[in-house]
Order: sequence, then C-alpha cells, then structure tokens
Amino acid sequence: MSSIQAPAPAPGAATSVAAPSGAGRGRRFITMAKARPWLLLAPALVILGGLMIWPLIRVVIISLQNYGLREINTGKSNFNGVDNYVEAFSSPTLWTVVLPNTVGFAIVSVLGTVAFGTLVALLLARLGTTWRTIVSSAIMVAWAMPAVTGTYVWTWVFDADKGLVNSLLQGAGIIDGPVNWFTNRWSFYGIVLLNVIHHGFPFIAITILAGLLGVSKEMLEAAELDGANAWTRFWRITFPTLKPVFSVVVILSTIWDFKVFAQVYLMPGGAGSNREVLNLGVWSYIESFGQNRYGFGSALAVLLTLVLMAITAVYIRTLFKEDQL
Amino acid sequence: MKQKSLTGKVGIGVAVAALLIFTLFPVYWMMKSAFDKRAGDGGSSFLPKEFSWDNFVYVLGDAGFGLYLRNSLVVAAVVVLISGFVALLASVAVARFRFKFRTTMLMMILVIQMVPLEALVIPLFLQVKSLGLLNSLLGLMVVYVALSLPFGIWMLRGFVAAVPVELEEAAYVDGASWWRMFRSVMLPLTMPGLVATSVFSFITAWNEFIFAMTILGSESDQYTVAIGLKSFFGLHSNDWGSIMAASTLITLPVMIFFVIVQRRLSSGVVAGAVKG
Repeated sequence: MSSIQAPAPAPGAATSVAAPSGAGRGRRFITMAKARPWLLLAPALVILGGLMIWPLIRVVIISLQNYGLREINTGKSNFNGVDNYVEAFSSPTLWTVVLPNTVGFAIVSVLGTVAFGTLVALLLARLGTTWRTIVSSAIMVAWAMPAVTGTYVWTWVFDADKGLVNSLLQGAGIIDGPVNWFTNRWSFYGIVLLNVIHHGFPFIAITILAGLLGVSKEMLEAAELDGANAWTRFWRITFPTLKPVFSVVVILSTIWDFKVFAQVYLMPGGAGSNREVLNLGVWSYIESFGQNRYGFGSALAVLLTLVLMAITAVYIRTLFKEDQL
Repeated sequence: MKQKSLTGKVGIGVAVAALLIFTLFPVYWMMKSAFDKRAGDGGSSFLPKEFSWDNFVYVLGDAGFGLYLRNSLVVAAVVVLISGFVALLASVAVARFRFKFRTTMLMMILVIQMVPLEALVIPLFLQVKSLGLLNSLLGLMVVYVALSLPFGIWMLRGFVAAVPVELEEAAYVDGASWWRMFRSVMLPLTMPGLVATSVFSFITAWNEFIFAMTILGSESDQYTVAIGLKSFFGLHSNDWGSIMAASTLITLPVMIFFVIVQRRLSSGVVAGAVKG
C-alpha cells in the first residue's frame, strides 16, 4: 500500500520549491537545493526499502530458523542457528546435482550466448541498411518472446509424443521410437540452453553492434592494407576497443543465467518431480512452497544471492573503472 | 572503396538466412500451431494441417483467457504509470545533483537489480500475506512496481544526464522555476527514455511468472496471462493448439512494443533540440 501512495509528497514538495518568497531567498534556496535530491528520491527509497531491502534482510533472518506453516500462522520465530546451512552443505543433492546444474549451466550458456551474439553483431555490421533493419527486427522478435511462452514453445517442439523433433528424427530413421528428451539431465539442459541462448543473444548482439559502429574504420582499413586478416583484425583492434562492452555483457549474462527459473520450472519434470534437473533457484522454491520448509528454502536463496552479489561486485568495479557513474 | 568478393556475398547471404530461420523459428512454430485446428496431432508438417481460428475462439471464449488478458493489462498499466513517475524523479536526483551518499545510492540500485527473485519471493510472500493482499492483483502490482524501479532509474539516469545543462540554465534565465523547468524541458526531452522504461516495466509486469504463481495461488479469476496458460495443461495430455494460441496472444503485444521502441530509441531527440 505504502508504495502506491508514496509518490504523492514529492511533486507537492517540488512545487513549494518553485515559489521562493522574496525575503530570505538566498538561505532558503541553499537548504532547498540540499533537500531537493532527497525529496526526489524519497518515493523510490520508500518502495525499494520496504519491498526490496527489508525482504532481503528478512530472508536472511528466516534462513536462520526452522520456519514452517506453524511459524507463518503464529508469526513466532523459531531460531535454529545455522542448521539450515549445515543441512544444505552436507546434502549430496547440492554437490552432485544442484551446483553443477547451476554453475555449469551458467558457464556454458554465457559462453554460448556471448559467442553467438558477437558473431551476429559482426554479421550485422557488414550488412547494408535495409538488411540490417530486417535482421535486427527479427532479432527483436526473438528478444521479445516472453520466457514463459518461449519455454512452452520449446517444450512443444521437443514433446515426447507429438513434438516436431521426434517426428523429424523418426521420419529420417535416426531413432526408432519417440524419445522423452526431458527425463535425461543432459538433454533437459540442452533444451534449456537452446532456449536461453535464443532468448539471450539479441541483447548481446545489439549492444556489441552499437560498440562495433564506434570502432575506428581508419584503423581497420589500415590494418587490412598491412595484410591483417579478419581474425587478426578482430582480436587486435575490435576486441581491445570493445573490451568494456564485452565485460559488461559477460557479467550481465552471467547474472541472468545464474537465475534461470521459469525456463527450468515450466519444463516437464522441472518443478521438482525430476530431482536430477534441480537448480539452486528451483530447489529453493520447491523446498519453500512445496514442502513448507521456508527456513531451508531461504538458506538456499541466500546462497544464490551471495553468489550473485560476488559477481555483481565485479560488475560494479568494471563500471567504475569505465568511469560511467 | 572496398570490393566484396562474390563468395563473401554468398557467405553473408547464407549466414543471414540461417540466422533469420533460427531467430524466427519458435515464433513461426507457435503461430503455425495456433492456427492449426489439428495441432494436437503433432507431426512435422510445416504448414497448418487445417487452417482455422478455432483455437483462438476457444481460448478467448470458453477457456476465459480474455479475463487473464484484462488482468494483465490492468496490472501492467498501473505498474508502468507509477514506476515511470517514481523512477524519473529519482533519476533526476542521481543524474543532476551531487549530494552525500549519491554513489552509495547508485551502488544500491545496481546491487538490488541483481538480487534473484527466488530470494525475494519468500519474504515478499509473507509480507503480502500479512497485509492481506494474497490472491489479489493489488498485491502483485505493489511487488511489480518495486521490481521495475531499479532498472527504470538506472536507464532514465542516462537519458536525464544527456539533457544538456545549458537547456536547463536557459529555462532558468527565462525565469522558469525548477518545477516549470522539469515539466517543460526535462519531461519532453526524456520522453524517449520514459517510453523505453515504460516498455520495460510493461514487459516485467506482463511476463512475470514466479510472483504471479506464488501470490495469486489458486484464485484463478485473478490470474495474469503468464500463469493463466497453465490451465491448458492436462494431467496426461496437453492441449497444444490452445496453449500456442494463448501464447500467441501473450507474445504479440510484447513484440509490437519491442519493434516500436527500437525505432524510437534510435532517433536523437536531444541533438535536434540543441540545433534548434
């Protein structure tokens, strides 16, 4: 509720700034000038404080408790120290299933998305205006596909009974009967990878293309005259110039790919019935809302947050180095 | 002038064709199945076996997907308006003023953006529950405003910073108050940014899945489109024709928005203003 009403004070306050009275104008001007940024920030701070920062603190508090339905209904706390974390770290599920599915998948999908996005950007840079518009519109279409519907389309394409892939492979005689691609961990994450790359490469291609257009043409032509081939020109001129852009897209996609949720949760078996395909986010969610073990689920969520915070720290340092703030 | 060889041109043509096929295939397959009356039969035919609007008629009629579309539109509209306004005010503060804790503020906004939704969903579920907003769209709107704010501030900051300070000063010289300057200089010049930010908040609200699933629970007349799709999944068989028709209805508005924004963003409004 508070967030809906929060915007009200700021415009009022700003209007009063607009009409400084003649006497004592100088002094009031100084105080108002100091207060103005805070008045402008106030609504955002109230919303972010109440709905982002306090919940973040609270998830840590809950993670230190045995928090279940009883605690939710009575509102009482039930601290059990670091038991939830001990349980998480001593669980074989974490080491054999969840961490490989989370970290391994993030690494492979970041490499795949960035490499593919870069190739697409290089291709776009060589096209004329008309074709560039056509191809980038198509890329926008892929970007715009919501994660939920995109996941359902890929699920339909790989469907065990009626899917396109099975009927093509059966028609070509490569497989004898229908294959359920969702039960095997590798093929399951192969489909997730396809989904994530398809959805993630447009951002990278468009961002890198914007950078590519800023690379000095004279330098590239000079290098070509000197006999450098495309490969050398890319690594010696384009890549160093675009290094800041690359580090930003790599870190942002790492952060995004670490927290894939809908893409896994919505696939057959992804919502917990196939424990082989759990990742950290899905595990946390099903422990909380499926098993009512909110304390343990929170501990897993805290672990995921810590990993992402570490990557974010690197991201912020990169940004500061570029002096963009 | 550089001469391109014929093989180079052919290579580029093949690459473009392959890229277009890969990029557009899921959308094509979705729409093909949506228009196919016998989509559920499956198979590998690349055209609808029996072209018809039946799936859409069923989805919007008997299946009641129209209600979910309306719910999502209401949520998205409220979120776009509130978060756009709040984000613009905050971005003016961080882009135009030098004050204590400014860097801390920016850092906080960046960090918050990276927090995984899975970590927020447990405490926010409890918070929404204790406010008595569980199973209601209002609870969802409150959460979405918060989710779309950090990115909105971050994005608008750049647009505000790009407005030349000279224009602002010119407004003051002409006797405008700060608020007047904000309305007549800042607001029109950051409009492309606001449009882009609004599109992103719209998409956040339109596509969001995990909070809708958690907060709306089993209250199916409050469902948004992202979780409304679940109703077409049966225990043993899925009604793929309807799922793809409903997916098409969800996806099209987002796609139209994206293509519009792409055009709008590329036009340099500020440059025009300075040249006068």
